[in-house]
Amino acid sequence: MNNTFDFRRFGFLFRKTLLERPVQLFGFTGLIFAVIFITYFICKMLIGIGPAQNISFIWGMAGGGCFLASFLFSYFSTSASGSSYLTLPASSFEKWLCGVIIAEILYPLLFLVFFRGIDTMFVTIYHNSLDPASPLYKSMFDSVFIFAFDGRVAEKVYQIFFLLTGIGVVGSLYFNKVNFIKTALVFCVVCFAAWGINWLMAIIIFGHINDAFPFHGVDIPVGKIDGSVDLPAIPAKIYNVFSDLIFPISLWLVSFVRLKEKEF
Amino acid sequence: MVEIVNLSFGYRKKKLLYKNLSLTLDTGSIYGLLGKNGAGKSTLLKNLIGLLFPNTGKILVDGQEPRKRSPAFLESMYFIPEEVYVPSLTIPSYKRLFAPFYPRFDEKKFYDYLDQLDVRDEGKLTTLSFGQQKKFIIAFALACRTRVLLLDEPTNGLDIPSKIRFRKLISSVFDEDRMIFISTHQIRDLDNLIDRVIIVDQGELLLNASVADIAEKLAFRTVSEISTQEDVLYQEDSLRGYSIVTKNDTANSSKVNLEHLFNAVTDNPAKIKTIFN
Repeated sequence: MNNTFDFRRFGFLFRKTLLERPVQLFGFTGLIFAVIFITYFICKMLIGIGPAQNISFIWGMAGGGCFLASFLFSYFSTSASGSSYLTLPASSFEKWLCGVIIAEILYPLLFLVFFRGIDTMFVTIYHNSLDPASPLYKSMFDSVFIFAFDGRVAEKVYQIFFLLTGIGVVGSLYFNKVNFIKTALVFCVVCFAAWGINWLMAIIIFGHINDAFPFHGVDIPVGKIDGSVDLPAIPAKIYNVFSDLIFPISLWLVSFVRLKEKEF
Repeated sequence: MVEIVNLSFGYRKKKLLYKNLSLTLDTGSIYGLLGKNGAGKSTLLKNLIGLLFPNTGKILVDGQEPRKRSPAFLESMYFIPEEVYVPSLTIPSYKRLFAPFYPRFDEKKFYDYLDQLDVRDEGKLTTLSFGQQKKFIIAFALACRTRVLLLDEPTNGLDIPSKIRFRKLISSVFDEDRMIFISTHQIRDLDNLIDRVIIVDQGELLLNASVADIAEKLAFRTVSEISTQEDVLYQEDSLRGYSIVTKNDTANSSKVNLEHLFNAVTDNPAKIKTIFN
C-alpha cells in the first residue's frame, strides 16, 4: 500500500470530507451564494448592473473562496475533532489534496455556474424591461451584457482568489480557534505594514506623493496634475509573477508542510 | 512492538515533561498507565500516536515512526482521547464513512459491541449523551481491530454499569496479537483488567511491572497494628486497622490494590526501584 497516495483511500477521504459535515460545508456554500445574490440585487438597484456584476463576482469568488478555504481545516477548533482528523488513516498529502480540490476546483466551478445563472437572469430581466420602440433601445440594450469570465476584471479576481484561499488555508492551520477572524486580522496588519513601508520609502525617494500602491507604483503631483511612476517593465514582471503566482503557490505549499508537521 | 528510546518531551524546551524515558511495550498485554493529574499520561499517548513529536529520542511502533503519521501506521493504531469527537451523523453513516479506513474493521462485531455497551441507534450521534458517545467510539475502535489501542481516561463520563460493561468488553476482545494501553487516574476502574502497570511521575518512569510480579514482590495487607520493624511503603487507615504495602519477603502473594500501589510507588520511588530491580 502506498503511504503517500492511494486512489481508493483518497476516494474514501474525499467522500468523508464532503459528507462528514454536510450542513456546515454545503450550508456555508449556500450562505455565500445567498449573500452574493442579495448583494448583486441591491447593487443593481443602487448603482447599476455593471458595478453589481463586479462587486458580487469579487466577493463571491475571492471572499467566499477564502471563507470556505478557512473552514476546510477547521477541525482543530476542538481537541477531540483535531485528534480524530490527524489520526485518521490517510496521508497528509491526501488530506491536503482534498482541501485543494474543494477550495480551488469545486468551489470556483460551482460559483461560476451559480454566478452565470444569476447574471443571466438579471441581464435578461433588464433586457426584457427595455422598450424596443425607444430610440435609445439599442444603446441601452448593448450597455448591459453578461459578465465575461475571461475579461480583465475576472482575471484579476482569479489571482486574488488564489491568493486569499492560500491565506485562508494557512491561517486555519496556524490558528486553532476562530481562525477566519484571526487570519483576517493578521492579513490586515500585514497589508497596512506593507502599505506603510512602501509609503515611507516613496516619501524618502520622491519627497511628496499622493498615493503609493505597495511595491508597484507611486502617484506624485507634477505641477497641477498627478503623475504616475510605475516600476520598469522587468521589475514589474518580477513583481507580478511573485504576487500572482509564487506567493500564492508558496502559501499552499506552506499549508501542506504545516499539516504534515502539525502537533496537536 | 512499541519501543521508546531516550524520549524527551516538553511543551516548553526549558521545562521537560519527560527526560530520557525508555520503555518497551509488547503485544499480548493490557497496560495501565497511572499517574497524577498533569504527570504527562495523555502527552505520552499523544507521542505514541504521532499527535506530538519527541524533542529528542525516538519512538518506534512495529518499526514505524509515529510522527510520520503514515496511513499504514495509523491503520494499526486507534487512539481514543479523553474527549471524543462524533460528527452529526447516524451510526450507519458514521460506519460507512469511517470504517473503510480500517481494513480489519468487522461490522458484525461493531454492532455486537454497541449492543454490549448498550448504545442504541437513536438518530444523530451528536444527540447522544457524552457517555453514550464515548461508548460508541469505544465500540467502533474495538471493531477496527487495530493491533494497538490507546485509551486516554476511557471511563471518564461512564456510569457504573457502563464501566463494568467496558471492563468486560475489553477483557473479551483482548488477544495475544493486541496491545491495549489505558491511561487513567481513576485507578479502581482498571482493577482486574490490566496485566501490566506503568507508573509515571514528574517525567520519570517509576514502575513498569506485571501484576503478577508486583504481587510477588510487594505485600498488600490489612493489619491491626503496624510493627516498628516493618518497612512500610504505604499505609492507610481502614475499618479493621491499617491497610499497608510492604516488601514481600514471603513466598505468598497478595491481591494487588492499584490505588495503594500507586501511592506506595509515588511516595517511595527509590525503594520501589530497588525492590523491582
